[in-house]
Order: sequence, then C-alpha cells, then structure tokens
Amino acid sequence: MFVARSIAADHKDLIHDVSYDFHGRRMATCSSDQSVKVWDKTENGEWHCTASWKTHSGSVWRVTWAHPEFGQVLASCSFDRTAAVWEEIVGESNDKQRGLSHWIKRTTLVDSRTSVTDVKFAPKHMGLMLTTCSADGVVRIYEAPDVMNLSQWSLQHEISCKLSCSCISWNPSSSRAHPPMFAVGSDDNNVSCGGKVQIYEYNENTRKYSKAETLMTVTDAVHDIAFAPNLGRSFHVLAIATKDVRIFKLVPMRKESTSTGPTMFEVQIVAQFDNHNSQVWRVSWNITSTLLASSGDDGCVRLWKANYMDNWKCTGILKGDGSPLTGLSGQPTAMSTMMGSSVQTSQNAINGMSAGRIGKRAPFAPPLRQLTSPKTYQHPAHY
Amino acid sequence: MEKMSRVTTALSSNSITGRTMFCHLDAPANAISVCRDATQVVVAGRNIFKIYTLEEEQFVEKLNLRVGRKPSLNFSCADVMWHQMEENLLATAATNGAVVTWNLGKPSRNKQDQLFTEHKRTVNKVCFHPTEVYMLLSGSQDGFMKCFDLRKKESVSTFSGQSESVRDVQFSMKDYFTFAASFENGNVQLWDIRRPDRYERMFTAHTGPVFCCDWHPDDRGWLATGGRDKMVKVWDMTTNRPKEIYCVQTIASVARVKWRPEKKFHLATCSMMVDHNIYVWDVRRPFIPFATFEEHKDVTTGIVWRHQHDPHFLLSGSKDSTLYQHMFKDATRPVDKANPEGLCFGLFGDLAFAAKESLISSDTNRKPYPGGDRRYPIFFFKKPDPTEQFAHVSSALSVFETDLDSNRMDWFVKTAQLYLLSGKPFAELCDHNAKVAQELKRPQVSTTWTMLRIMFSDPANLTAPGLNHNLSKLGPMPLMNSFSIKEIGPGVGTESRLERSKGESRQDNIHLDPGNSHISNNEENEETEGSEGQAEYMFIDAELDDDDLYSMEHDNQAEEQEYTLPQEAFQLRHEIIDNPSAPEHLQQDKADSPHVSGNEAEVTCLTPIESFSLISISQPLYNPHLPASFFCPIVREMLSYYAEQGDVQMAVSVLIVLGERIRKEIDDLTQEHWYMSYIDLLQRFELWNVSNEVIKLSTCSAITCLNQASTTLHINCSNCKRPMSNKGWICDRCHQCASICAVCHHVVKGLFVWCQGCSHGGHLEHIMNWLKSSAHCPAGCGHQCEYT
Repeated sequence: MFVARSIAADHKDLIHDVSYDFHGRRMATCSSDQSVKVWDKTENGEWHCTASWKTHSGSVWRVTWAHPEFGQVLASCSFDRTAAVWEEIVGESNDKQRGLSHWIKRTTLVDSRTSVTDVKFAPKHMGLMLTTCSADGVVRIYEAPDVMNLSQWSLQHEISCKLSCSCISWNPSSSRAHPPMFAVGSDDNNVSCGGKVQIYEYNENTRKYSKAETLMTVTDAVHDIAFAPNLGRSFHVLAIATKDVRIFKLVPMRKESTSTGPTMFEVQIVAQFDNHNSQVWRVSWNITSTLLASSGDDGCVRLWKANYMDNWKCTGILKGDGSPLTGLSGQPTAMSTMMGSSVQTSQNAINGMSAGRIGKRAPFAPPLRQLTSPKTYQHPAHY
Repeated sequence: MEKMSRVTTALSSNSITGRTMFCHLDAPANAISVCRDATQVVVAGRNIFKIYTLEEEQFVEKLNLRVGRKPSLNFSCADVMWHQMEENLLATAATNGAVVTWNLGKPSRNKQDQLFTEHKRTVNKVCFHPTEVYMLLSGSQDGFMKCFDLRKKESVSTFSGQSESVRDVQFSMKDYFTFAASFENGNVQLWDIRRPDRYERMFTAHTGPVFCCDWHPDDRGWLATGGRDKMVKVWDMTTNRPKEIYCVQTIASVARVKWRPEKKFHLATCSMMVDHNIYVWDVRRPFIPFATFEEHKDVTTGIVWRHQHDPHFLLSGSKDSTLYQHMFKDATRPVDKANPEGLCFGLFGDLAFAAKESLISSDTNRKPYPGGDRRYPIFFFKKPDPTEQFAHVSSALSVFETDLDSNRMDWFVKTAQLYLLSGKPFAELCDHNAKVAQELKRPQVSTTWTMLRIMFSDPANLTAPGLNHNLSKLGPMPLMNSFSIKEIGPGVGTESRLERSKGESRQDNIHLDPGNSHISNNEENEETEGSEGQAEYMFIDAELDDDDLYSMEHDNQAEEQEYTLPQEAFQLRHEIIDNPSAPEHLQQDKADSPHVSGNEAEVTCLTPIESFSLISISQPLYNPHLPASFFCPIVREMLSYYAEQGDVQMAVSVLIVLGERIRKEIDDLTQEHWYMSYIDLLQRFELWNVSNEVIKLSTCSAITCLNQASTTLHINCSNCKRPMSNKGWICDRCHQCASICAVCHHVVKGLFVWCQGCSHGGHLEHIMNWLKSSAHCPAGCGHQCEYT
C-alpha cells in the first residue's frame, strides 16, 4: 500500500517538522541543528535538497509554507524566541546549475519573550497573515499589509491563552459563513489546568479574537492540532495529538441574526484512539480530509479513516524505517512495508457488506496486492 | 599541587542535601561565590555585600560586610571570589578600580583587609590562585591584569594585554603558572605568571567581546569561552595552536560559563542581556540545552556550582534581587518538550515522516548485530542514570508513497480533467460523467450521475417524471381500482400520501383509463420508443416545466402502461414491509427502464448492488405533482453528503451540470463555499484550465469575479502601434479594429496571438502556419517575429 523512500536528511540533530508546500512538490524540514532544508521533487519522484541554511540560533521547531500566490515563502519559528520569514530568490545561474536555490530572510519577529513553538500562515482568503504561538501562552497574529513587501509585518493581535502553547491550527474554511477561527493546543502537563485546546474566533464587531470554545475533555499535554481541510463542509473537524489521537467535530449552532457573540459550537468527539500506546506527536490530514495520519513515540505512523457511518478505524500502520511491524501482522513477512495487513483484511471483512451495499468506492486495496508490492527500501544497520 | 587541590575537596564525601530554594536580597547581585565546604555563599553587588549560609530548607543571612554609615565605593562590587583554600579570605573587584580583600577572621565589624587601588577603571574580575594562598589576580577595564601577593602592599606584577579591556581572568587548573585572560576585542591570551612582559599565546576566540572563560576542572587543558556573539566555544589548549573542539550556539550573549562538576561535557551558561534563564549544555549536542533553570525574573548575573564535586546544585544571583539554589532534578528539560517527529501529508497522498532514529529502530525491531553477539546491546544499555543521558541524536526522514488508488489523488485529477460540465445536452453530460466515474472505479458516483440524468433529463421527464405522472395517473389507477379502493381506500392504507395521490389523480383517471387498457401489451413497442424518446427530447430538457409535461403525457401514455404492472407487483409486496423502500426499487427499475420492462428477477438482483440510500424516498407518490423539483431536496441532501464526505468535486460538478434545476435549492453561501473549496483544490493540483472553467460556469458573483481580478493586459493597436486606451477592440486613434488577423484579415474571436515586437498577430493557427514557412511578420512590416 505504501512504499517507503528513505531520504538522507543529513540534519545534525532531531528533525522537528516536515512540511509540504501547496502543490505537494516541495518539502521543507527543520531541525534542532538550527537549519532549514528545502527539498524538491524531481521528475522521477526523488527528493533533492536544493537549499539548506542556518535560520535561527536555537532549535527550529516548525516550518511552514505560505500560499504560492505570495511567492515561495517559508516561515520558521525557534527556541531562540523568534519567528522568521524567508523568501526564495532566483539565484545566480551557476547556483541553478548546481540545483541550488537561495533563500533570504525577509523579517524576524521578535515579540515573544519565550520559545516560539508554532508558526502558521492564515488561510489565503484572509490575506498574508502569520500566526505564532509561544511557550508563555501568547498567540500573535501578524499581517503583511503589502503582499509585495515581505519585510513589513505589523502585529495585529496579541491573544493571551494563559497556558503554555505548543501548537496552533487555522480553520481553513473559506466560507463567509465561518468567521476566521483557530485552535491552540497547550503542552502544559498539569491535568488540573483544565482544557488544553482552546478555540478562538474573530468577532466582526469588536474586531478582536475571542475564545469560542475550550475542549474541556482534553486535559493532557497537546502536542499537535490540525483542522481538516474544509472542502465545503458546514462543520469543522479537528484532530488532536495528545496522549492519544482524538478527532472532534465542531458543528456551529445556528446563530440568531441579532446575536453578536461568538458562535456556539456543538462539540462532538468522533474518535479517540490510544493505539500508539504513548505520546502522540503529530497529526496530519490528507487533502480531502478522508484520511488522518498520526505518529507517536512508538515510532509508527498510523492511518485513520472513517467509514460511511462516520466510524473511524485504523487502516494502516507504517513503521518509520520501513521494517515489518512484528506482533501485528502475525508472520514477519519478508521486508515488506505493507503494514497492518491483518488489520486491513479484517476491516474488509467488517465493512465488506456495507461497502458493497453502499456502492462506495472500495476504500481498501485487495490484500493480495500488498504481497506483490515491491519493497524498495532496506534499512541499513547503522547506529 | 594537584594533590593539594584534591585534599581541599575531600569532604565531598559528605553528600550535600537540600532543595530548590531562594531568598530575596535587598539589592541586585553582580556576582556570587561559595566557600570551599559549600556551606556559605557570598553575594556581591553595587549595593550589597552579604554572606548567607546554606541550610537544608533556606538561606540564612550570616553577615553583612557593608558596614559604616557612608559605605565607600570600595564596597561597590563587580566581582567577588571566595578563596578555595583559606575559608576566611575573600576578594572583591570594585567598580572604582579598587581590589579589596576581606578577612572574615577579624574581630571587628569591618572585615576589610587589604586595599589595592592600582587599576584606573572598573575591575571586572578577581581570581585567587587555586592552590597558592596568597596569590590574587585581577583584570580591569583599563586593559591591565595585576598579580598581587597578599603579604605585600602592592602588586607584584602587571600584565598588559596590549589590547582592549579585560573581561575575565582565570588561573589554569592544569598548569601552576598559567592563566587565561579574555578581552573585549574577541581575543584570549595565555600568560605565564612569571613573565609579565609578554603573553605566551593569543588567539581570536569570538567576534566581539569575550565575556568569560572557564578552565575545565578535570585538568584536561580545555578552556570554555563565551562571547557576545552568543557562542560558547571549547578550546583544546594542549595542542600547539588552540583548537576549537566544540561550539555551542545559545540564544543570547554569554556572560558567564561554568563547567559542571563531575560531568565531562556539561557546562552552565547565563546571559546578561535579554535572556533570564540559566542553561546547562552538553557540548556534544550543541543545539539544544540539556537543562534549563527558568526561575529568575531578570538577567542572571552570577552562577556557581555549589560544590566542586557535586553536579546537582547550582547557585545563582540575579538582577531581580534574588539568590537561588537550583536542584538539577528540578530543571526543565527542553528536549522533553521538543517534538521528536514530523509528519505531513502531501497533496498526492504521500506522507513525509521524520522521526528520531531511536524511536523507529527500537530494540525489539532491531536486526541482530552483524557479529551476532546478542548480549552486546544489553551491556550497551546498562547506563547508570537515564536522566543524564543526552547523547547525540539524529532523525531519519522518509517519504511513504502510496500506490493505492483511492489514497493517491489521481482519481481527482482524472475526474476533473475528464468531466464535462457544459457544452452538451444535460443527459449527455450526465452519461459522460457517469462513464468517467465508472472507468475510475467509482460506482457510487457513476450511479449518481445516471440517476441524475433520469431524474432531471428530458427523456426522463418523459419516461421517468413523465412516467411518474403516468404511474400516478395511469399506473396507480388500476391499482387503486383493483384494490386500493377496496382495501386501502377505506382506511387500511397505511400511507396517507398514497391516498392523497390517489385522490388527486382521480380526475385524470377517467380519460386516461381507456388508453391504459388498450396499450397494456405492447412491450416491444415501448422498448424501442423509450430509447428513442430519450435521444429526441434531450435537447429541450431545460425549458420544460410541468405544463409541458402534462401536455406530452398523452403522447407517451402508450409506453408508460407497461410499468404499471411491475409497480403494482412491488407495491403490493413492499407495502407490507416498508413503504419507502418500495420506490427504491422503482427507481432502479426506471434507471434501466428502457429495456428492463419490469422484469422482477432483474429488479431484485439490481437492488442489493445498486441500492442508494439517499433515493430511498417514496417518490412515485410525490412525483405527479412535483416532477423535477421534487427531487431537489434529495439532490441537495446528496450534494451535502458528498461535500461532507470530502468530495466537493462531485458537489460542484453536479451543481454546474444541473444548473438552474437545483441552484435555487441551495443557499448562495454554501454554493460559494463549495466553489471556493473546489477551485482551491483544482489550483493545488495545478489544474488551471479546469479551475477557470469552473469559475466561468459558476453563477455566484463572488466566484465569477475571481478570474477577472489581478490580471491586466496592456495592448497596443496593431495598426498605429500606440497603446489602446479604452477597453474595446477599436483603436481610438486610427479607428481600426485592433484584432484583425494579419493572415486572413478577419476579426479574431477567441485565441489571438500576437508578436510583442511589432504588435501584429492573428488566429493562432494562421500565425503558426505562417511562421512555419516564413520568419517575417505576415503583416509585411518586416519584423522578424518569433513564435515559441
């Protein structure tokens, strides 16, 4: 089902974040070694590092791409208490020949007094806006009033969340029915501090962001948070990486036209999985928001998918180094990356009838195909 | 000498206990120092000079050395050092340039012992020799270092750095005669105490001032230096030329650096600018602090390990007027909060995953070592203290590429490219799209298109909705006549709708009845007619409303008759179980109506496969009165369903293809939302043409304006070569039409290509052909046009 392609990242310390660009052809990685690398996909599907440069004087926690409409722009945030905006410029001709590109710093945002833990661009329809959150619990929203000038950013909003923030996610919905909204997660370990996920919404009248919701059931440290791509839904789906994987649905309640307060949400927990058996570090949605990937301290990536009844199930387990996952697949098949095959077949059995009846496109590959899929990567035994 | 230094610390066997604690000072501290046995600490600052004893639970003020009503500037301390051998001996560096020694053994209140006023400017640092009782070294802002013998009134030697201010002086642990001095110009000098004329060695350690240096306590000849360039560097001084062996990048200028006792690779740093925290680094992993103490509210000015052989207690003084004892176990570990993994879904369903190597190759999955020695790992992992482990780590990056079609987004791209949204009759569009979906193995979508065609298309209005009319007007009639009047009519009928339809259709009943009876048997007729009818009427579909349908009804009655029988049969059967499900069969039936002709066997085999939950509404009973619009709520629901399943493509495509039929049913905001989402997706996949087509076909004003924004074409008239000012195609100045093809001399509508050099151009095809044979402009202007 999945073929692992290993990339020699050559970062000198932990990689903290990987981020694809809008079109899925470029990738950026950031690491504790204070550098960011940009990878470009070649025609034959290989990834080549086209830029690597020192970005900060501390660990770089996150890296993110701006919408390509604004140019080839990256933002990074770091332990050194700053966030930075980078732009690729068309380099010298001999640079190009060597397949290298040049990135220059457009701005450094120095407002935070503690480690900046996440940085995200706001959805494109809001203009060129950048959000940071920091360990002292402050979310800052910057705007570049002139999209052609990336070195000028004005601090528009400063929102105090009270709890040390670890991650932030914008609601990507472009509907006019949905006011701008973002969710913040906190990695505060103190369970008694209450909900660790807060949702803020823009109020057109006060022109401020105000808290719309706190997910009180999430009391453990949250490491990552991700709104699903909206794609014309009337509600919002939020995935949370905490000690387990959780999926929440936020259904906006019908608002009376006269009321000016924040939107009320009906919060439903759709799924909760502790299969990682450990801290979950990352969650990521695919583009149609039909598939959720999560990764945890067990070193595995797990894939989650909903069936037609909105029941979420595990549809695959990927081991980071491409080695077989013992214990789950029963027989350690020869160096296959097709993990969780047993899970899948049983899934098929469960869903077989309903899937057939509903006439839905078959969500699972036939088990036979998995055996014939090639194994392209062997993990070298180095340490 | 080394022996001696060991002796002085022999009491380290009495383990120190305590906790993280602090006390308020009266004034900001500049420097702190501990006495040899780690029981007392001296705090010195501009307005403070006190000794505290370290007790189990708290600091207790023991002695205030600032005495007298008007304390002289000699008390204003920039630095302080407690002698590590003589426990009554202290030295301070005063901001007025004085070097003062203090003897705690004096009986009087004033403990001041010696006073050296040889430096002209602030003394930045004082340092006792680690093993020699009477030797004291000072370094000053005036650029000189002086060595004092405490038995004499004056300095014994003066060392001139020949460069800028001295920021730190430190006697070497390894070499009795050597000391290091760091300077504001970035240099570090090594001196022999016996040779004041010239330094032994000098090297540039940092760019900008070197604020501090510290010899490694374990005689290794390692010197750590910290500078304003935010770096800590570790130098190996044993080699001929000092060699940088480690470099730690911190986030602020480094004001103090202290090696951690008993830990070969650890050192603590603090900054006097911006950053209030104290960091402990493992120089082997120079990017992320091993531990952090975050208690201070203002910059930390002095740090010292409480005992030379105890790595667990750190004392610090700060500008925030507090004195802290930090327990190492209470330190924050930034690496614990650092995310060891990165994960991101790509556009095409590929997954990029970076993870700490130790996580993904855990012991259980590790392949046996090549040597086959299985005990090795066990031995390897037997480490004394897991919390002290902080070795070098790295991440593995890999991309998982999916080869599962439904995960990869090929279907989306293909669908977007192959779907037809306009330019053909409705039914053909539906059929085409159904076929596309079928080929991409999306049966549900395909079925939906087919059903949409049946619901809304014209022949369907004639065969399906039309048929429905007949079903109610003709079809149900015999049914009603035969038994519903007898059985259901009297009230047994569970369906009020049934009755309603029956009642309403009764008027038609009479005049339709005859037709009904006489065509009941021409099945073959109907079969051919049905299919032909479909083809014929497709072109008129959009304009038809109910009236038209009614008027046509009579023409088609003939065909419809045949449906009554199967319907009757199903109706009967399903009424017993579940009413709504009955029409579902009908629906299926109709989908294949032209040839199925109510064969029960076929119908039953169709239902389980094709049943489509959204259509499971008893429509034949509604149909007669709400032909096409009747389906709208269902279709609306279906579109929402698709949108919520993440297939906004389907929602938008159907929206466009159905056009006016459905548009009013869905509120504008939702439509706009769907369009926006779909266009965004298309642009992600770089399907610009499709995206533009969708924008063009949409009816939302907010969407259609999208492709009219932000692109401006400035054109010149091809005739007079001046800019065209107005928006039309006629040039203001020469009153010629600007868009005339230079080859055929007709006005170009559609794709117009022109040379940017001479402004001449024309039909794309014509120009292409022309330039194949000639290099010159077809207008005869002589310009060498180039077409690429």
